[in-house]
Amino acid sequence: MSTKRFSPAISGAAGALPLFIPAIPFAFVFGVVVANAGIPEWLGWSSSPIIFGGAIQVTLFTLIGEGASVAAAVSAALVVGARHMLYSVALAPQFQHQPTWFRWVGPYVLIDQVFVLSQLNPIKEPDTFRHYFLAAGFTFWSLWMLFTAIGVVLGPAIPASWGVEFAAPVLFVSLMMAASNRPDKIGAAILAMIITYLFAELPNRAGLLVAVFISVVIMLLITRRGQR
Amino acid sequence: MIVTAIILTGIGSYIMRAFFIFALARYQFPPIMLQALEYVAPTVMAALVISLLTTPNGELAAGLPEIAGLVGTAIVAKISGNHILSLITGMATYWLLGWIM
Repeated sequence: MSTKRFSPAISGAAGALPLFIPAIPFAFVFGVVVANAGIPEWLGWSSSPIIFGGAIQVTLFTLIGEGASVAAAVSAALVVGARHMLYSVALAPQFQHQPTWFRWVGPYVLIDQVFVLSQLNPIKEPDTFRHYFLAAGFTFWSLWMLFTAIGVVLGPAIPASWGVEFAAPVLFVSLMMAASNRPDKIGAAILAMIITYLFAELPNRAGLLVAVFISVVIMLLITRRGQR
Repeated sequence: MIVTAIILTGIGSYIMRAFFIFALARYQFPPIMLQALEYVAPTVMAALVISLLTTPNGELAAGLPEIAGLVGTAIVAKISGNHILSLITGMATYWLLGWIM
């Protein structure tokens, strides 16, 4: 019957669930930021469906809370989110064999975790890829809508001393290891860490883009040379 | 004013995610480009970890609990391939060392 069409959707949702756990404390951090900025809860929450990107939303409201202009807050938030352009490039080959509607809908749920999930076991078959991607993406989306709603209501009640924010770097280390399934990818990751540290003073995590670019170029030079 | 900021950021972040998917919809990727794209996931994740652990002044804001927690996470992630297990390891190490120290 339809089990074959169903399974990529289920595995997409199942892959997304554990990766959402670290986003839960972040939803509460978001709630605190909205409260500190003096923005009504519903208006702060509306950024979840409109923007759908945790770090982007937090940056925007942090700066608005500090009294920044709309232009300054928006541009800083977009620089923080600029890594999504890299995801857009990296997924372009897989989106080439997809229907147009999916090219419109897919990017809306293209976040860090969904991107890494889609890269772990690159799915060649277009229908399978689409079902997997949408299931993972909208599982995250639904949970983010729910938990940011809880976050704006309860966020200010969670004490900062719990250190739950540390779940974010822990998640990204876990994703980094999952995505580094070859020695050259581990090498690329280590290079990116060092270079990010060297460029850490650049504002709004712009050093991230520089580090990714330089480490990818270095890895291409090393591996191409090795092949000759 | 806040509504404008939210909508502008929403449009901007959607365009960033969609742009290359549309722009490169018919592009024939050369092998070197496909190889470069394979490095995007590990390098962006690695860069995110460091940017979360550095202050805006470029200083590393991580002590022994943080570093031990992340090394533990990396080892368990590599061995088990299980995100829940590596998350528990990382957080438990971080909390335990933070509590002892």
